[in-house]
Amino acid sequence: MEFSEHIKTANVEDVVLRRPFYQPTKGTLCVTGHHLIFSNRGGDSARPFLLLLRNIDAIEKSVENLLGYSRLFSSTGQSQRPSVSSGTITLKCKDLCVLQLDIPGMEECLNIASSIESLSSLETVSEMYPFFYRPPFLSLQDQWGLSSTEQHYAQMKEIHDGWRVSQVNRDYSVSPSYPPAVIVPHSIDDETLVKAARFRQGGRFPVLCYYHRETGTVIMRSSQPLSGANRKRCREDELLLQAVIDGSELGYIIDTRSSQQAQQARMTGGGFESKSCYRGWKRLHRQLEKGKVLQESLIKLVEACGDQSHSVDRWLSKLENSKWLSHVQTALSTAGLVAECVERDGHSVLVHGSEGTDTSLLVSSLAQLILDPDSRTLAGFLGLLEREWVQAGHPFQQRCAHSAYSHVRLRHEAPVFVLLLDCVWQLARQFPLAMGFSEPLLLRLAKEVYASDYGTFLCNSDQER
Amino acid sequence: MEFAELIKTPRVDGVVLRRPFQPTVEGTLCLTGHHLILSSRQDNTEELWLLHANIDCIEKRFVGTLGTIIVKCKDLRVIQLDIPGMEECLNIASSIEALSTLDSVSLMYPFFYRPMFEVIEDGWNSFLPEDSFKDLESMTDEWRLSDVNQDYCVCASYPPLVAVPKDVDDDTLRKAAAFRHAGRFPVLSYYHKKNGMVMMRSGQPLTGTNGRRCKEDEKLINATLRAGKRGYIIDTRTIAVAQQAKARGGGFESEANYPQWRRIHKAIERSSVLQESLIKLVEACNDQSHNMDRWLSKLEASNWQTHVKEILTTACLAAQCIDREGASVLVHGTEGTDSTLQVTSLAQIILDPTCRTIRGFQALVEREWLQAGHPFQQRCVQSAYGNGSSVKVRCEAPVFLLFLDCVWQILRQFPCSFQFSEHFLVLLFEHAYASQFGTFLGNSAAERAKLKLSQKTVSLWSWVNRPQEAQRLSNPLYEANSLVIWPSVAPQSLLLWEGVFLRWNRSSRCLDEAYEEMVHIIEYNKELQNKVNSLRRQLAELETDDPLQHTE
Repeated sequence: MEFSEHIKTANVEDVVLRRPFYQPTKGTLCVTGHHLIFSNRGGDSARPFLLLLRNIDAIEKSVENLLGYSRLFSSTGQSQRPSVSSGTITLKCKDLCVLQLDIPGMEECLNIASSIESLSSLETVSEMYPFFYRPPFLSLQDQWGLSSTEQHYAQMKEIHDGWRVSQVNRDYSVSPSYPPAVIVPHSIDDETLVKAARFRQGGRFPVLCYYHRETGTVIMRSSQPLSGANRKRCREDELLLQAVIDGSELGYIIDTRSSQQAQQARMTGGGFESKSCYRGWKRLHRQLEKGKVLQESLIKLVEACGDQSHSVDRWLSKLENSKWLSHVQTALSTAGLVAECVERDGHSVLVHGSEGTDTSLLVSSLAQLILDPDSRTLAGFLGLLEREWVQAGHPFQQRCAHSAYSHVRLRHEAPVFVLLLDCVWQLARQFPLAMGFSEPLLLRLAKEVYASDYGTFLCNSDQER
Repeated sequence: MEFAELIKTPRVDGVVLRRPFQPTVEGTLCLTGHHLILSSRQDNTEELWLLHANIDCIEKRFVGTLGTIIVKCKDLRVIQLDIPGMEECLNIASSIEALSTLDSVSLMYPFFYRPMFEVIEDGWNSFLPEDSFKDLESMTDEWRLSDVNQDYCVCASYPPLVAVPKDVDDDTLRKAAAFRHAGRFPVLSYYHKKNGMVMMRSGQPLTGTNGRRCKEDEKLINATLRAGKRGYIIDTRTIAVAQQAKARGGGFESEANYPQWRRIHKAIERSSVLQESLIKLVEACNDQSHNMDRWLSKLEASNWQTHVKEILTTACLAAQCIDREGASVLVHGTEGTDSTLQVTSLAQIILDPTCRTIRGFQALVEREWLQAGHPFQQRCVQSAYGNGSSVKVRCEAPVFLLFLDCVWQILRQFPCSFQFSEHFLVLLFEHAYASQFGTFLGNSAAERAKLKLSQKTVSLWSWVNRPQEAQRLSNPLYEANSLVIWPSVAPQSLLLWEGVFLRWNRSSRCLDEAYEEMVHIIEYNKELQNKVNSLRRQLAELETDDPLQHTE
């Protein structure tokens, strides 16, 4: 395989590893196609330290070529080594851990660094570790994924009269980012869905994501309608939404853009549901940030947390400037708004932003956590993530290509999923007995989306998988 | 008694009470000499029983003939009373104002309180200096208990008995006292068993602009040094402030006169600034605008967490000098009654595991705060809502609350190292400001003796040390250890003490339930552990009974 071409130096001895909370240790460093492996010398009983190369966000090198100096200033006992030049590689990981490797020999150091750089920025999905990982306790024959749309539908017996599973997207031609099966109102046929899909960005027509038993109302999600500057309309899309609120007098559309942004979207072919065409639907705007703004926010937050200046003012200023907590607050309060509409007012809700792949999913999943005790159990929560994020087409590959430390030019990265996990953590902290899982699960997920042995978070949609 | 004169209207019916997290209640409002009482109309239960001493300020509003009094308490609670009738409302308001600003200490409630519980152990005698000295004697014979101050003439704010180096006589002490601010000569605060090093505290030396010196003072603190070793003086003022103090007769220990001592300046904000800080913090916590930027800005502008960090850092420094450097330490600021005591008591929490037990912590508060002469009466006359306009010299400052906040920070970072829980700290905060017990009355041991508090009032410790109370305040996660615990003072590690500052803004019901659940889990775990142990014993017995069974 081409991996060996990327590896210039595969093994180096006498490397010192420094990581948080552990003493610095000396051992042997190996570079493989997917991992950095560090093993203590002397056959230590501790397991070797493994780092997925994919977990590396940024790498910095500093090289000392000072022959005489190291003997002058090194403390007694350390100058046993002949004074060769050495280098230090600082690895900043996507899970925010920062490691250092002191590598003797300038050439080895530079080789290791460039090997790591090229291996950690491989783009081809099929070359990534999940394709090679064979855990002893699982088999490839086991069921992949937790549940499907059909299974979810089967669990909600109450809606079988008014709603159906449509396979219109079975070959992903109607919407490339949707799963093959979706839940739609009974009265709407596949033809109508195809036409409605043309009127929505990325073909993401409104589909059901949650049914609230107590009030008989639903949460739907979609992307923005493509009304454009000419204020086009689509009868099929209107019919679809009409069918949702059939029976009740009012539904709410929660638009995760400000009304200005929604207006401006018209200039680029997008738009919003106008009052005249969508009678019976009341539109509310709640501006949630995403994309570059969110990534910037994360970068500033991580920088604030790593600040060693020990000044309270600086810490609080930087925390405020990062605006991360504002995003958490807005996400939670918008989810709360959706939950209020559904539970207190007894009205159905449609959530969408522009693409329908980021803030829409954030709001819909948080609202479900607020409303539905089942989604707070361990199995329920994982099922929720599978449905509302993985199958729903959140572009994980793009969003989690790089995290807070990366120096590369960012394209589509945004920590939307990490924001979700933060919001869930806030809920768990305020209601400690309400969640069937605890913080370690959230931390594990935060790590796995960026670099994983498993294939769950690879790719951007069901189709790609 | 004069109380009746101050109460214009003792009773009003049809008053509506609004409190955080509880439903609105209608009933009869009564004013007594010490309390505001509201009994519910429904079932005649007492819904509200508020000490006037707990009231920081009141505001009145009128809508038609309905008057509303908003009562802002020192424990940060805000309650609302809707009183029908403008005259009644005005009378109640002015009565409350008069009753909550009484000058004379002996009119306060602790002098009238008759406990409903049996006093098994009298808290006034639980933590006498003689007893703590006995502990010291068992570890070292380098110190003695001096009664030079037994009539409080040498130092008005010190207790009658103080621990001083054995070889220093009372005359030396008198002369040293003349050289220290308010007579607060250096005394022993803590003895570190591990290495025999000590921590002492005092007021600032009165060197003045002439550079006065006092050989007796030098002899006193040098007596605590081992041969050839140096000590550290931690001055809680910046160098600039310490220099300026000379102009007003104060100063610092010069290197020339104190060659064996290294002086470190680790500034802690003066207590007068702390009150502003508290007011801003509470205002930020009550801000309802739901704006994240605003909250963080206001939190930063209050500077409260900066103060927490400063004190923790200085306490860690003192502890480091003693434990890591193996040197003795003298701590002082200007008066030696505020930041000095914060540093010495926190350093002991870090160094000494006994201070982390319930009784040990009480003893610490007794020694380092009450007996050491922290002016509680002055400092706790007003809390975050007070206007303070009527007082000529502003003496109030949340010095003790800040200390409790620092203890809470350490408790949070080391949840298994403390025998008591957060509830105990909140309790102490409440009682320092307003209490039915006499423990926090007065400003010094001298005042307490003069007021005869130990005869006429009940001690808080009498109540806290009853088994039921001690149980309620204990920490289920506690595992006794003998560690020195070093807290992180990075700003990112310091949190807002929600248990005090957000107590009335957000219901703690879910957190309380989770806490109860945790207590149950730990108890159940202990039960199961006991069962396992007893089954193991049974098994061992059975095995020794029939050793031949297996060979059959």
